[in-house]
Amino acid sequence: MRRTAALLLRYSGGGGGEGGIPQALADVLVCPLSKKLLRSCEASGSLVSDAVGVSFPIVDGIPCLVPKDGKLLDHDQDKSEDGSTKDSFNSQ
Amino acid sequence: MATGLAAAARRSLLLRHSWAYLLSGSHLSSSAATAEGLNGGDGGGGGRVKIFDRDLKRRHRDRAAWAMRETDALADAVAENLLDRLEDCRKAFPSALCLGGSAGAVRRLLRGRGGIEKLIMMDMSTDMVKKWQEMENATDDGLETHFVVGDEEFLPIKVSSQDMIISCLGLHWTNDLLGAMIQCRLALKPDGLFLAAILGGETLKELRIACTIAQMEREGGISPRMSPLAQVRDAGNLLTRAGFTLPGVDVDRYTVKYNSALELVEHLRAMGETNALFQRNPILKKDTALATAAIYQSMFGLEDGTVPATFQVLYSCAA
Repeated sequence: MRRTAALLLRYSGGGGGEGGIPQALADVLVCPLSKKLLRSCEASGSLVSDAVGVSFPIVDGIPCLVPKDGKLLDHDQDKSEDGSTKDSFNSQ
Repeated sequence: MATGLAAAARRSLLLRHSWAYLLSGSHLSSSAATAEGLNGGDGGGGGRVKIFDRDLKRRHRDRAAWAMRETDALADAVAENLLDRLEDCRKAFPSALCLGGSAGAVRRLLRGRGGIEKLIMMDMSTDMVKKWQEMENATDDGLETHFVVGDEEFLPIKVSSQDMIISCLGLHWTNDLLGAMIQCRLALKPDGLFLAAILGGETLKELRIACTIAQMEREGGISPRMSPLAQVRDAGNLLTRAGFTLPGVDVDRYTVKYNSALELVEHLRAMGETNALFQRNPILKKDTALATAAIYQSMFGLEDGTVPATFQVLYSCAA
């Protein structure tokens, strides 16, 4: 019963829908290299560290924050994503 | 005079070197340094010394995820001893972080101790974390558990966010143990508890001796087959240097009996504790391996035909 409820919660985005990871977890995770806050990118399903320009994948709801698994973002893409974050901040 | 000048020149050179070092170290936010951390890091930590191949260790742990048994008596004994300390604390620890090693055993044996409400389990190996997640789905005790794949040397946890950090038999594979401990201290809230169990220098001394003798005999030289491990006094010093107040270290010794030395190696493999030194010899000849087993048997074998293996575990407890 409880397990079903947990499953439902997980899939209905009750955990905040942060690209698949629960809000409680997203609150304590930071970039492993810079220790700055991470931004979740829903389009690519990854966590992005703007301070160092690296994106970390989320696989099956498990964020993967080993530095080797991170991908360096292209500079242009980084810029455009920065722009979109600013937009979303404004809209909020 | 000439020597004095040379000494001065050397000193200025040294100074310049240390400056260059400082400069390259402090620019973590620059993209070049990031690239180094991502690619050139070779699994090494913040420290310059690289002893262990962290990528290889990650693969070992992937393998251990499917090779391990449901319960491991050694891991259970260590986890139980570690968690027993929570019963001595009157404080509750609502948010806790459980680092690699045998965190599965910790999770299974927790049984509501320490008043934990939210547990984060972290390991380097994705397969291991998935295995824990399966185990978690089978248990049903209302504890909010989250899973993260992360490296202990690059702890991805926010500063002062956790009440307790438990690490059961994982930290002895870090290149920079001090750095890992400092990162743990930073992630802890003030007055948070740090509990760690690591393997100590007496661990597997029988196998160490048998390996050395067999290699001398068959190959005429030795290569490192076993990691350097911390001694008791090192553990205390490390905790103090990492900035923990109230450090406490105690030692326990477990002797496990196996039918043969080959079974011991099989057990080590299932625990993901096989050799991951950078300077290891990747080739192990069959006759050397068999000679090791034979020497082990003849030097340390007991009357009933079993061979004992010593595991020394250092329990660190600090606030």
